Amino acid sequence: MPILYKSLTAILALTGCVSLLITGEMNLLVCIGGLSIFFGYYRFFMNRAQASKRVAAILAQAALFVFLADALVITADVFLAVAHMTITFQGIKSFDLKEPWDHLQVYFMTLLQLIIASELTRALTFGVIFVIFMVLLVTAMVLSHFLKEGTLGRVRIRRPVFVIVILTMISTMLIFVVLPRTPQRFIGKSHVRGIKTVGFSDRVDFGSFGDIKLDQTVIMRIELDQEVSPPHYWRGIAMDSFDGVSWRNTAREKSRLLKTGDEFVIAPYDRTQVVEQRIYLEPIDSDVIFGLTKMTAVNVDTFSLLVDDASGITMPGKLSRRIKYSVRSDTSGSSKGRTEGRYLQMPRGMEQIISLAKSVTGGSLSDAQKASAIETYLKRNYAYSLSTSPPPVGMSVLDDFLFNSKSGFCEHYASSMVIMLRGLGIPSRVVNGFYGGERNEYGNYLIVRQSDAHAWVEALINGQWKRFDPTPAVAVQKPPAMSHFLDSLRLQWTRYVVGFSSDDQKEIVRTLASPFTMKALPRLRFPSFKTVILWSLALALFIGLLYVVLRKFRFRRYGFVTRTYLEFRDLLRKKGLKVTDAMTAGDLLRVSRKGGFGIEAEEFLKLYETHRFGSREMTDHVRQRYKALLKKLRTGKRAEDI
Amino acid sequence: MAIVTLLARGNLLIEDVPGVGKTTLAYALAKATDCAFQRIQFTSDMMPSDIIGVSIYNPESREFEFKPGPVFANIVLADEINRTSPRTQSALLEAMNERKITMDRRTLVLPDPFMVIATQNPVEYRGTFPLPESQLDRFMMQIRLGYPDLEYEKRAVADQSGFALIDKLVPVVTKADILRMQEAVDAVRVEESVMDYLMKIITVTRNDERVRLGSSTRGAQFLLKAAKAHANYAGRDFVLPDDVKRLAPSVLDHRLILKNRHVGSDAENVVRDMIESIPVPV
Repeated sequence: MPILYKSLTAILALTGCVSLLITGEMNLLVCIGGLSIFFGYYRFFMNRAQASKRVAAILAQAALFVFLADALVITADVFLAVAHMTITFQGIKSFDLKEPWDHLQVYFMTLLQLIIASELTRALTFGVIFVIFMVLLVTAMVLSHFLKEGTLGRVRIRRPVFVIVILTMISTMLIFVVLPRTPQRFIGKSHVRGIKTVGFSDRVDFGSFGDIKLDQTVIMRIELDQEVSPPHYWRGIAMDSFDGVSWRNTAREKSRLLKTGDEFVIAPYDRTQVVEQRIYLEPIDSDVIFGLTKMTAVNVDTFSLLVDDASGITMPGKLSRRIKYSVRSDTSGSSKGRTEGRYLQMPRGMEQIISLAKSVTGGSLSDAQKASAIETYLKRNYAYSLSTSPPPVGMSVLDDFLFNSKSGFCEHYASSMVIMLRGLGIPSRVVNGFYGGERNEYGNYLIVRQSDAHAWVEALINGQWKRFDPTPAVAVQKPPAMSHFLDSLRLQWTRYVVGFSSDDQKEIVRTLASPFTMKALPRLRFPSFKTVILWSLALALFIGLLYVVLRKFRFRRYGFVTRTYLEFRDLLRKKGLKVTDAMTAGDLLRVSRKGGFGIEAEEFLKLYETHRFGSREMTDHVRQRYKALLKKLRTGKRAEDI
Repeated sequence: MAIVTLLARGNLLIEDVPGVGKTTLAYALAKATDCAFQRIQFTSDMMPSDIIGVSIYNPESREFEFKPGPVFANIVLADEINRTSPRTQSALLEAMNERKITMDRRTLVLPDPFMVIATQNPVEYRGTFPLPESQLDRFMMQIRLGYPDLEYEKRAVADQSGFALIDKLVPVVTKADILRMQEAVDAVRVEESVMDYLMKIITVTRNDERVRLGSSTRGAQFLLKAAKAHANYAGRDFVLPDDVKRLAPSVLDHRLILKNRHVGSDAENVVRDMIESIPVPV
């Protein structure tokens, strides 16, 4: 059995296991048996005896027991248990590879693993692995066909493999594009685990922000249809009730919104005035819809939305799915409100804070001036810090922040400001959401991370909710361009593969039809001269590098013996001697004599002939000698000097 | 080359001008190998029976008795084979290919080892019957001796001993040794890529535009056998691309028929050209 075929089986088995492991859902302890795959394939490559049917059967039964225990007790999830079992089976199978049928079993198992993995992850890595799998599988299938025919080694397989891979890719892509999309998934419940987020449920505890501020996980990616000047506040949900420890959303009036036309209209708007944001939300444990204030319309693939009376929008039944939606916001508008008791509510024991508020706003007349004064005061006099220690016994969190530690993070600032405003009789609320986001120039979109989570204040001034942010600005570290590039790939993946929807299908049909409708031609943007130069330089550099690398690896498809021989041939060529591919080792000997090479060349070529055509393995000793001879030939010294 | 042919159980055709030592070569080979040697000088009036033998009525036993012809030897030198009629030629060539003679419903096996060394003169066209392709194909190799180096020729000319020297040759191997060596040749291994290389050469002779008729399958078999023998002769038990390349011209030349008598390029050059265009397995 050719080594190529063997390695393909081994790599395919590994590919399947890796595809499951990268999902991060595997319980490693349960599938630890899969580790034996390395030992199994090592034995396989060394041509050791394979396990008997009996041993394999006993092992398989043991694996079944583990599976039962796993499905019923350990993970209590049949789906994951099957995934664990396939890994263990791959391990067992690696000891039992005798017939061509056994190899097919491995491929089938790998296919199963990939199908399971596709349900568990939507990561870009999985896409890469899938493509690798397809290429390898096709190659292995073609090889096994020729192996069965007994013509392996006599026919060229590179071209058929290449053609079949390309055809498979094309048909896969076609099927992918044409397959009907349904809004709901077909099989079972989702196994994609959401990113744990805090602050977007009905309740927020203090201190929870501190941890997530350090978390660089991407929460969403946002494309804007026009430039919006910063700051960008991606509003989530407002909290109105504070009990001294945590904030809650007590909104009772949640109205169910149904689709009007294409979208959910929250407030009537003028199409020329609004900014459209296309948001790709990662699977997070929250059903809040984010967007710039003031959101006027939302387009999302669902049946109904819930809007509370504090402009918070939630999507019932979202679960922790990855979704794509677009929001139209009127950034200049602000929502109207009226004074309600719950926006003035405060726990007991806030007298010290109220007197502080009064002293800070001493000279101010209007509510707007008072709010600005408090905002400025907090910004100037308190230090931003993520490492806050719990307040001393008997002291409330806000008292500790305002009068004792004088350092905290956004939630401390926002809470303090709301309490101070309420102490002055100005209705206000804490708003949770995300702030800012970094621009990715590769895809021209914004990346919003977990660490961008933020809390700010909305105060009711003259019947309008106005935004205040008492948190001082913090310097952010810009991640390297490379990560931006990778992230843009990830967005493309999410956009065009994972999130490929029926709308996209319609769009493709429309685009294909557009040449016939003679609608406006797509706008062409001519890149500047400088960009062209830069790109061509980069391309030239890339091709050059590729050439060097390929040259380096040109001999890789040969064994050590041939590689070394070819190096010698190149050496002769470099010396200006006429060397053609039609020359045998014997011819090279004559040529090398002409070039002044002596007995080393003769010995070297003799070793080559013996080990290349005499089907003899090189011993380590001969190997050393062979290498040394080439080195000497290269440096022109005599081999005896070694 | 003669030894290689002997080891490969083949037959040799030497084509060259008279007097460069064709006969001497054959005679020396026979002497050195302790083999029975017969020389047949072909003439236009020879009959097949002059070669394979004749059945004569024996009045005493009242039976026909077979008198073996000169072909019953280990090494047969068929001198100037193109001077005899095709009928006689084919009688010999059949014998050399099948290694047995059927006559009067009796099958007589020729001795082993058996080898025919035929010679022909390229310049004498008058009164010759050139061998047809099918007959030529049965020779494993066709070689040319060429004129010796000036230095060697000088020595040969100065040396008076002539055939007497060959007579003095002592056999270095016995018949049994040769048979054993022939078996060893069969055991020589051929690596897959070398085999591919050989087949590539054969294929190219069939597809080259200068050639009207390329090598036969027998040509490929002979080339492999010859390469194996050459490897064995060089003390190896595996064939190198070198062996194939070195022997290809001798084995293939006489099998090719060129188109339109390509000016200035006889078969030998064409074959050499082809070989120099085929990449050697590395």
